[in-house]
Amino acid sequence: MKNQLLHVFRNTPFGRETFLQSLYFCKMTGLHLKVFFPTAPQFLMYFAREVVTVDLDKSFLQSPETAKEHAEELIREAGVDASFFEPTRHTASTLPDIPVNFGFMTCSRNIGDLSSKVGLGHIGPRVRTIIKNATFPIIIPTSVYKEWKGILVLFGGSANALNAFRLGAKLQALSGLPLKLFSYTEKKPKAYYKKILEKSGLLSGINSEGMEWKFIEKGSFSEGLYHVSHDALVVAGAYAHGLIKELLMGNMMEDIQTILPNNLVIVGPHYNEE
Amino acid sequence: MKREMGSRPLMDFSLSRLVRKIFFRLDERLQLIIVAALVGLGGGYASVVLNSGLESGGHYLNPLRTHWYAVLFPAIGAALSVIFLRYLVRDIGVHGVPEVIYSISRRGGLLRFRSSFSQLVSGFLTIVSGGSAGPEAPVVISGASIGSNIANLFYLKDRQRTVIVGCGAAAAIAAIFNAPATGIAFALEAILGEWTPINVVPIAIASVVGTEVSRALQGNQIPFQHHSFYITNVDLFACLGLALLTAVSSVLFMRLLRIVSSNANTYIRRAWVRAAAGGILVGCIGLALPNVLGEGYEPIRRVIEGEYASGILLAGVSVLAKILSTSLTIGSGGSGGVFAPCLVIGSFTGLFFQRGMHFAFPQVTWAGEGYFGLLGMAGVTSSVLQAPMTGIFLIIEITGGYDVLVSVVLVSVMSATLSHFFEPHSIYHVTLIERGELLRPRTDARVLSELNVMELLEMDCQVVHPEMTLRDFARIVETCHRDYFPVEDSRDGHFVGMIHLDDVRQYLFDPGLYDAVLVDEIMNRNVVAVSPEDDLQDILRKFDEIRSWSLPVIQGEKFLGLISKATLLDHYRKELKAQEAE
Repeated sequence: MKNQLLHVFRNTPFGRETFLQSLYFCKMTGLHLKVFFPTAPQFLMYFAREVVTVDLDKSFLQSPETAKEHAEELIREAGVDASFFEPTRHTASTLPDIPVNFGFMTCSRNIGDLSSKVGLGHIGPRVRTIIKNATFPIIIPTSVYKEWKGILVLFGGSANALNAFRLGAKLQALSGLPLKLFSYTEKKPKAYYKKILEKSGLLSGINSEGMEWKFIEKGSFSEGLYHVSHDALVVAGAYAHGLIKELLMGNMMEDIQTILPNNLVIVGPHYNEE
Repeated sequence: MKREMGSRPLMDFSLSRLVRKIFFRLDERLQLIIVAALVGLGGGYASVVLNSGLESGGHYLNPLRTHWYAVLFPAIGAALSVIFLRYLVRDIGVHGVPEVIYSISRRGGLLRFRSSFSQLVSGFLTIVSGGSAGPEAPVVISGASIGSNIANLFYLKDRQRTVIVGCGAAAAIAAIFNAPATGIAFALEAILGEWTPINVVPIAIASVVGTEVSRALQGNQIPFQHHSFYITNVDLFACLGLALLTAVSSVLFMRLLRIVSSNANTYIRRAWVRAAAGGILVGCIGLALPNVLGEGYEPIRRVIEGEYASGILLAGVSVLAKILSTSLTIGSGGSGGVFAPCLVIGSFTGLFFQRGMHFAFPQVTWAGEGYFGLLGMAGVTSSVLQAPMTGIFLIIEITGGYDVLVSVVLVSVMSATLSHFFEPHSIYHVTLIERGELLRPRTDARVLSELNVMELLEMDCQVVHPEMTLRDFARIVETCHRDYFPVEDSRDGHFVGMIHLDDVRQYLFDPGLYDAVLVDEIMNRNVVAVSPEDDLQDILRKFDEIRSWSLPVIQGEKFLGLISKATLLDHYRKELKAQEAE
């Protein structure tokens, strides 16, 4: 199922925008779209070391009688290869289990109602937990449908950032769109970042393809994000994992998705390229 | 000051790293024992917390039970329990011990952290208010969830985690009944379903630690005082009749509970209203027969002491009332287990039997009511749980006497065997079996569950198109080593059918047809296909049903590859080897 993108369908105008974004992603990458229509307010995802309970808000269960019809209409218009997902495993009769071996998953910034009070500017706790545990990248789309014309990887030198770069290269190969690198130097020399890529055997790819690598050396990270092109699909590693790291610097991911109006693909610490 | 504040977590962090480093260098069995001991502590504390809570709650509520409004207590308790679970902690869909067994069977023992406390609170609310349910299910779930999460902290493998989940359940049962051997038997028989040396040692450690925690905090009390009984051969012979009666009680209880559980939802949609309605009915039953309320240890004690109110009819009605009230409490959505109600139903059944025999054969000197009460408890527990060893150990440990051992073994085994004819599965397993979710260790289904379609997919297939002539097809056959050829529509790439070489061999040897026949005319359009999400067990069944060796894997309308029976069986063998090596 690595060639599939899982989308939890929400039969609302905002849900339609998110769905259009998933359709566009599949259209550009050739992935198969798997659409899940929730019928219960919760579902479980059994990751390798944690069970994530996803609490859906009421809007996900709205008008189930028209949900499939709406989804089919949008799929037909987009001309994307898609099918519907029916859970076969249930922890309890009203608690379906969703497989965790998809290639990608789309998560609106908030899945659960508990975090809805926080607002659209922040990633909800459930989405964060999914990112933390998932072996697949998470697509966090914009609230309103927006096409992307290029791929931009935010590279900070961490292991997750390296994975983000690998994923960016993969998406470039699938979509044929240009790939750019973007680094905020954090007072470190450029050579530091180049060395990290060289160690991982990725630098040669950048040089051979003449890939653009933009370094931001002045100002804060938030200010630097202004230089990210508005129509790029931004691929980033989930910065910091672990309680202490998260407390000290864990808001980097929040900064990115709060400031950038772009579609995001987040690579978590357990991302498995295979 | 800032530096001091900042340096502390870093010190803790490196300490935890050091502990982990030492831990991971230990032998795997030693790792399991250490984690089992920790889980034993957790499981033991969980049961002490619930037990103490029930004792304190009972202390305040019992004096009020004589008032008319006490009829509402079980309804309020059950409704609050549902509201707490659904709206406060959002632990929706928890179905007690079966969820623990499901997690072991399907999910490598992964359990939600919130279950470690949510079930204790909801179980407390249901039972303390008078709902007819036992405290064991909440503590088992709590202990198992503590075990699962501690196993995650120590990065244990799936196989080890399932054992640790069993340790949590064992510790909880051992602590709540002050019965370590029962904890071991319950975990191995009812939860894990296998007795292996690797399982037994950590489970025994957890069980002992759980018991010791309970003894340290609550004292070393045997729940029911042992009495010596004068047992004759006639009593032993009568055990056969009692086994039959306990089997009947068990079957009746299991069926009624299932009827209430599956139908309550149809009549009342809102969960908390449904639980409250069940609670009101239980409260009404409790007005006439207060002994059916709560977990029911007090009536058991009176049966064993021979102090239960006289009358055959009363004993018989008590059996039925307890069955009904437990079915209503749990079936309508209240939290709690069936273990303690089984003991109460069993003791009443034994009492009814003893009084019936005494009435029918007054000239015979029968062993006391307590003796038959104990045997009834063993019989019903063994039948409902389909776990005779658990029933036997429980009765021996909670009464502290061994003189009834022969009779207890006889009734337990006979009752479990008789009820097996009508209810072949344990009350914990039946819903999982109906959903096809119970995969016992070392079964085909368990081995196949570790594999999936995509890892068996064979993609080196030669795709053909409907408009190809037989000549083109014959050329492809010449160079291809496969017998199956998927046919795709050349316009949209959709899968439209398949050609099996055996079906078209006659045409291939007739060159006169080479330009006259198209692939479209010889392909099979009614192909049985599978999808990437399908269960391998179902796929294996399909292979047998249609006597095929390869099936196409279709996603949407796209052909992904073939799955062959030979590859599947080859992977099955490798997985079996890997599991045995663990």
